[in-house]
This record gives sequence, structure tokens and C-alpha cells, in this order.
Amino acid sequence: MDCTVRIGSPLRSYTHGASSVAAAGATVAEVLADLEGRFPGIRFRMIDEQDRIRRHIRVFVNDREAATLAEPVAGGDQVHLICALSGG
Amino acid sequence: MALSAEERTRYARHLALPEIAAAGQERLKAARVLVIGAGGLGSPSALYLAAAGVGTLGLVDCDRVDLSNLQRQVLFDNAALQRPKAVAARERLLSLNPGIRVVAHELTLRAANVREVIDAYDIVLDGTDRLPTRYLVNDACVLLGKALVTAAIHRFEGQAMTYVPGRGPCYRCLFPETSAAVVPSCAEAGVLGVLPGVMGAIQATEAIKLIVGRGEPLVGRLLTYDALELRFQEFRFARRADCAVCGERPTITELRDSPETCMTDALQSLRRIAPSELQVMLADTEGRDPLMLVDVREPREFAAGHLPGAINMPMSELDRRLAELPAGSTAVFMCRSGGRSLRACGQALRGGTVTPLQLEGGLLAWAAEVDPALIVAPAG
Repeated sequence: MDCTVRIGSPLRSYTHGASSVAAAGATVAEVLADLEGRFPGIRFRMIDEQDRIRRHIRVFVNDREAATLAEPVAGGDQVHLICALSGG
Repeated sequence: MALSAEERTRYARHLALPEIAAAGQERLKAARVLVIGAGGLGSPSALYLAAAGVGTLGLVDCDRVDLSNLQRQVLFDNAALQRPKAVAARERLLSLNPGIRVVAHELTLRAANVREVIDAYDIVLDGTDRLPTRYLVNDACVLLGKALVTAAIHRFEGQAMTYVPGRGPCYRCLFPETSAAVVPSCAEAGVLGVLPGVMGAIQATEAIKLIVGRGEPLVGRLLTYDALELRFQEFRFARRADCAVCGERPTITELRDSPETCMTDALQSLRRIAPSELQVMLADTEGRDPLMLVDVREPREFAAGHLPGAINMPMSELDRRLAELPAGSTAVFMCRSGGRSLRACGQALRGGTVTPLQLEGGLLAWAAEVDPALIVAPAG
């Protein structure tokens, strides 16, 4: 069963405006790899070359923060990709 | 600070709330709140704080009222067009509530002045649209021990959090660092006019709660709001032991302007072009000087794949090699995803001999939108 990924506003240009998409994967890394296959470029916006979550991004699985990409994801979970916003 | 008969009438609905009552209203009257940015967020927060009877209200803004502001900045009307925002806002707030004091700070916050401005207030509401200012204000509040209610908006999404000294994480604990290159502004992305109305009202609510000492502030919780789906969510986050400003061994112990702050003003006027726009410009060379294409990635990345005709000037060599570009020419700076090229444009603007353009989204965007055959090497 897929999880639901909720896409932060600045990343929706990659998902053709969709605010949430279904994705497969047993870890955050796998979920992001699945997204990258369909929405090229989205992973690099969140993850640096050393596979670390970028410092203006927070990833939550339901209400639990994912400190690393190894964080487990189960079917039916909600994965939240939260980006710093700058507008005022 | 006792209330006058007129104030008892004006604030009757507050006085009817046991959670506020006369004691809370007197605290509001004695409170000093600074609103940074008289824009989309600052408009509703300042209006509600003035109406609520916050005794001293400061407003920081150095801009003038523009017609495109009126879609969301409800402090202003047509008659205020072209007037300094801080001054026009002060008049509006005093006409709403003549019993308070409103201070207009018509300036840009910088390391050199932020301490002096903030020190005269108890609580700071950050509604700036400049990222470097967000970090400067956060750091100043941590170092000076001031409560900070911060909010930010983008298109249909808003975020808010509250920092209370000694009680929880600061904004840097939430997002340790970021860059204008990766976080788009509202001017580029657009914003639903009523969105900052919701988020600014939340900021005012937080300030009032902190002043009267009631309720549970948004400490250690990031509140997000999606207007399209009408969904509020909150995410708990903790103080980082390694936070650069509020952590165990802080590296920020005095206020400094980030290199980006120094560049921000110049970059406001920078033209950023989409890959499709560059494609059109490259095809249409008739009657104009050719565009210089300057790729600022490392030689190894450049060798793996680059645009035809591009020259390679790695960031480390850029300052001394800018002179190689013909004076008066237009140069499109590009990198992998847009971070380095933005800094390169800042250097070119300071150099002043060429007109820089930035390829937005970098060569990754070019590959995604124009030419999938372009090989874009990993950075580094």
C-alpha cells in the first residue's frame, strides 16, 4: 500500500501543482526515489550530494520527524515535505 | 497602568473575558511590540494589535506603498500610494486607536541597527519578505532575550512559530540555514491576498497571549496552513543542541550581516530567466550583441556537459576573470541548480561592467525543460 506525500508549496512546481501524491517505498529514501522517477529534480531540491536532508527542509512521517533518509515509512503513512518560506 | 473610562468602553469585550479582564488589558497597554515588515503579514497583525490596545507599537519598513500591495496589505488604501509604508501605517493605526503610541522605523534592519531597534520592545513579530532579515531578527531576539513570533507565506501556504527565550527552539533550530536561491519570494511565485490575513492574525493572537500570560503559545510547534485545502497542521520540533545561535556552543555570538544580506538589495533588481526564455534569446540573435554564457561550475562538472558556446569560470576564479567578459555585454550566469549562479550574479553586479542574467533553476532545469540530452554532473 502506498503512502501519501504532502508536498510543500515551493516544491509543487515539480508535481504539476499537486499538493499531495501517492508514492511507494519502505523508507523516506525509497519514497523520494519514487518521486524523483516521476518528478525529475524534486529530490535534489531536498537532499544534498551527501544524502543529507537540506537545512531549509524538514521531513515528517505522520507526526514523527525523519532525521535521516533511513526513516521507515509504512503504507497509509503521510510523509510531509516542509520547506522554509520567505514571503511576508 | 490604570484604564480610563473611555478605555473601559473601548476594550469592553476584552474586559468581559476573565482570561484578559482589567489586569490583562493593563498589561496590553504597558506592552511594547515591534512589527517587522508593514506588508501582507504586518498589516493585519499591526491593525489587530492597535485595536487590542497594545500601548507601544513599532513598525519597521523602508518601502513605499505600491499599487500591487493593495491586493493584501490592508493597512493601506489608494490615498497611501507612493507614501512611505511606515509613515502611512502609523497614521492608519493612530486613526484606529489614538490612545496608543506608534513608532515608525523607516529603515532596513542590519546588524548595525537591529539591536538598537529591537531593544526598545518586549515582543517581535517578524513578517519580513527577506530571508536574511528573518535570520538576523531571530539571532537578535535570541541574543537579546526577546520573544519572537514569526510567520511566512508562499502562494497558498503559510507557516508560523513562536520563540520564547528559555522555553523552546528558535527559528534557526527549525531551519538552520537557507538561501534566497532555493526559497522563492512572493513576487516571483504569487500569493493569495487573504493568506497573510490569516497568518498575520495568528501572529497577533500569539503576541496578545504572551502579553496577558494566557494560553499555550506556538513554542516548539510549527503551524502550517494550506488555504487551498483549508487545512491546518502542526509539527513538533525540538531545540537543536548544535543550533548556531541558541545551542550549547553557539557560533553566532554577535550580530553580523550575512553575505547574502549585502547582496540582497542588488539582487532585487536582478533579472532571472527561465530555460525556455533563454532558448528564445539564443535563437533570436538578430540585431543584438551575442549573449555571453558563463558557466560557474567546477571544471569537472563543465566537462561532463554544458551549453554550446558557454565559457567556464568556476566560482573560485570568478572575481579575477570577470574582466574577460566584454564590457557592456549581457552575460547569462548558470550552474547546476541556481545557487552558485545567484552568487555569481551578485559578484557581477558589484563588478559593474556586465549586465548579469541568471538561469533560474540552473542546468537541471534546462535539461528538464529544453534539452533532456544535456548531461548535468553532480555538484562538487
